[in-house]
Amino acid sequence: MSLTGKILVCFFLILLSGFARDSLAFDLRILVVLSDSTPLYQRFAKAFEQDLPQGMRVDLVQHAEDFDAQKTDLIVTVGVRAAYRAAEKSSQPLLAAMIPSTAYADLHALKQGSISAVYLDEPWRRQAGLLSTVLPQRKRIGVLYSANQDIAGLKSELARRHDILVARHLGGKDTLSVDLDDVLNESDVLLAVPDSGIYNANSIRNILMSSYRRGIPLVGFSDAYVRAGALCAIFSTPEQLAEQTAGAVASYARTQELPEPQFPIQYSIAVNRAVAATFGLVIEPDDAILHEIKKSSGGQR
Amino acid sequence: MKKRYLAMLCLACKTGYAVEDVNESDYYQDLPVVLSASRLSQPLSDAPNAMTVIDRKMIVASGFRTIADLMKLVPGMYVSYYKGSQPIVAYHGATDEFSRRMQVLIDGRSVYMPPTGSVNWADLPITVDDIERIEVIRGPAAASYGANSTQGVISIITRDAGAMNGKSVSYTHGDKGINDAEARFGKRGDAYDYRVTLAYTADNGYDSLTTPPNGYTMATFKAPGLLYNSNDSNQARLFNYRGDYHPNGIDRYDIQFGFNHDVQGVGFSDKNPSIYNNYKGTNGDPFHNLIGNSDFAQLGWTRQLEQGAELSLRYSHTRQDQYEAFPVYLAGNYYPGPVVQSLQTTRDEIEVQHTLPLNDTNRLVYGAGSQVDRVGGQSAMPPISLYNSSSYVYNEYRLFAHDEWRMSQKWLLNLGGMFEKNDLGQFNTSPRIALNYHVAPDQTLRAGVSVAYRTPATAETSYPLMQPGALIVPTSTVNSPGLQPEKLVSREIGYVGEFPEWATSVDLRLYSDLLSNGIYLSSTAQSFVNGMSGEYHGFEATLKHEFDTDNSLTLNFAHAWAASNGALLAAGGQRVMVSSDPTNSDILSASIPSNSASLLYMVRLPHDYSFSAAGYYQAAMQPFDRGAIDYQPIERRVDVRIARALNFPGNLKGNVALVLQNLLNQAYTEYIASNLFNRRGYVSLTLDW
Repeated sequence: MSLTGKILVCFFLILLSGFARDSLAFDLRILVVLSDSTPLYQRFAKAFEQDLPQGMRVDLVQHAEDFDAQKTDLIVTVGVRAAYRAAEKSSQPLLAAMIPSTAYADLHALKQGSISAVYLDEPWRRQAGLLSTVLPQRKRIGVLYSANQDIAGLKSELARRHDILVARHLGGKDTLSVDLDDVLNESDVLLAVPDSGIYNANSIRNILMSSYRRGIPLVGFSDAYVRAGALCAIFSTPEQLAEQTAGAVASYARTQELPEPQFPIQYSIAVNRAVAATFGLVIEPDDAILHEIKKSSGGQR
Repeated sequence: MKKRYLAMLCLACKTGYAVEDVNESDYYQDLPVVLSASRLSQPLSDAPNAMTVIDRKMIVASGFRTIADLMKLVPGMYVSYYKGSQPIVAYHGATDEFSRRMQVLIDGRSVYMPPTGSVNWADLPITVDDIERIEVIRGPAAASYGANSTQGVISIITRDAGAMNGKSVSYTHGDKGINDAEARFGKRGDAYDYRVTLAYTADNGYDSLTTPPNGYTMATFKAPGLLYNSNDSNQARLFNYRGDYHPNGIDRYDIQFGFNHDVQGVGFSDKNPSIYNNYKGTNGDPFHNLIGNSDFAQLGWTRQLEQGAELSLRYSHTRQDQYEAFPVYLAGNYYPGPVVQSLQTTRDEIEVQHTLPLNDTNRLVYGAGSQVDRVGGQSAMPPISLYNSSSYVYNEYRLFAHDEWRMSQKWLLNLGGMFEKNDLGQFNTSPRIALNYHVAPDQTLRAGVSVAYRTPATAETSYPLMQPGALIVPTSTVNSPGLQPEKLVSREIGYVGEFPEWATSVDLRLYSDLLSNGIYLSSTAQSFVNGMSGEYHGFEATLKHEFDTDNSLTLNFAHAWAASNGALLAAGGQRVMVSSDPTNSDILSASIPSNSASLLYMVRLPHDYSFSAAGYYQAAMQPFDRGAIDYQPIERRVDVRIARALNFPGNLKGNVALVLQNLLNQAYTEYIASNLFNRRGYVSLTLDW
């Protein structure tokens, strides 16, 4: 084969490979930093690599502590700890995946250079959508919260649906029982918010038992809650977040610009049918609930 | 308060988000299974039986001080009193003073005790405040609960160990010597919760009457002593403890024990030689005290297995001792005595149960159990040189299985069976099949058939001819060796409907129960024999309506009738089968109130007030085993409760309540006519912190 022929073959090969992936994507170097190597992050990493356009170079740092500034095109962090570490240590563009939306402002202030995020929490509108789909008769939504919870957004979402927010600020660790009783006295559903000071493996028992005794269902924010005895939950799995993050990376590869921070696009629901039956609730199949939530909560916010 | 300010200050001075704030592990953390299959109560629409649930709210709103009275809120339940502290709780009309056809359980532990096969309500080591809810299965449930649940099961579920975190004291004072004091405290911990109750309850039972009830003349009420049959005070001192150790998300240990010391006034004045020395009776049962000591210990272990499966093991030990001593009057002679009678009863029970979801639509529960009952009785009657001492041990073994199969969205099949073997050489199989059809998600039709047996009680197999006093001490020899269990076959059709748009639910039941091998005291043989047969038919309805979340109404109605071979047996010389009702020669039929109803209305009012009103109705009937004098005319009663929650500065809260029973003073007579229920009231004050 002549030299021209070889060049032509190479050109076509390059062209063909370009069809199979996004242009520019093939030479992007991505450094994925996990908060640690536990299964949660491994699940994300595995799904992320599978969802990523082929040809991107992915390096993986298994522990946030092992990360140090190094040459790369884009850093993708998984979890809060990795996000902080990368924001502090490097100035490369940073996509912080699987972080609560409440952590973003702080991270943004800390970071030099461009930053964006894929949040792990569902927008209030979506949560309100779940409540009104599954429990349309229950209008008094109880929330027990402590630091760093901005529930103003929830309040306006509920008001839009003519629901009432019964919110109590946790007085302290010792007052959990009293504060919980206060909320339960006034509510007909308890909406759990992520707050390890209130909801943890030790306290969940008392919270679920107290609400169950009063005939008040708990709405959680993960399938673990539903297994434990919550009526239902809306959440995004690590795989769903990974797919969205891969999409954001692909977009960055095309435009060289990070997309805006975004709430999860894909989400799941779980319903504990045994608990529903005990509460005498007739609940639609999961698909119908998801459809209804999509219809009622519209966009992402 | 100081702490809260401090926390808020810290929040204010804190800048920046910390990793220990909300992070992804809050979202994805593993949690223990809390509301497991055994914790969740089965919804009425899926249950294989008709069931009435009396929850905490209803318990409080009813104003009742005793567990037996709460049964008035169950459609078709007969609640009446032999003595002030000796209630008779029976389904399908009155029984004799020992209601033997209902199984009663407290947290799964049977309190249906030998030798009479009945429940000593006054001796139970729990108070009404210890109860979380009561599930009453109307109709036999032997497939799940074993022998002796021929007419139904009263399953009392006490408050969880973690139900209380703090301290509470209450005092109740009112008419008829009502004086109850109770202290309760509990603590919730990360791995261990416990609660403790200490209580004293006392009342004087029924009034001493001075005029005959029900319009009778003194001449009709022949023995003047009948009017003073009111030595029926009761004082109970009790204690109970419940602990729940949950070291991980998988295992749960339930630890319970309790004690009750009870002193009941018993005896009858017309048999009391010191008052009526012209009385020439021979069966002396004068006023005296019946002293009861009962205790229990219960250990339970529950382990969560994979895929919603669960393994549980339960052991319990129950003891009931009773003692009485009194003088007698025999054939015109007064013997200062004393006659002394005592009973010692213990039960040790162990049960293992495996709950196994076979797939999404099929759940199997199966297990095995064993119990040992020990009965000891002594009766010493020095005046006639009669001494009786008896001792019995009964072993019972059982295997059970229950399958709940959702055949489709619409069809649910409940199939169950219990196989029991006892020391009387009896082997009973109690099957049950129930098919639930969900016409719509909110509308369910149910059809079921079940079989249940009642094991003969010791007092029946070893019936004592001499029965001075309140206790029935079995004879030392079995005098009815061939006595077979009573058998009940029940068929029912039920409907459960929810109407969310009207905030209303309806529960209907139509039943037909056949009793065979019924046990009765033969006048000819002077011992208990099989041979009574009967049938019960009826209709029951419960309607619940919520006007709003603070305002609800429960309505119960029951219509029932029965027929038996009682008249035939009576004609054949069986005196106990002779009906005292001149208009009805069938003793079984006469003992059932044709209609009964109850209603409970509760409302939460502004300014922390709450109000509830209850109404009870029971048609006229002839108490089984009693003379015409004890005929019970129509019973109508209205109870009201008004309460106000108290909020003090700090953590102190409280409640003050006034209960007025039989507000309109429509006095009615109970199982024994001299028990006249007239208006009574009491006030209670509770402080919690």
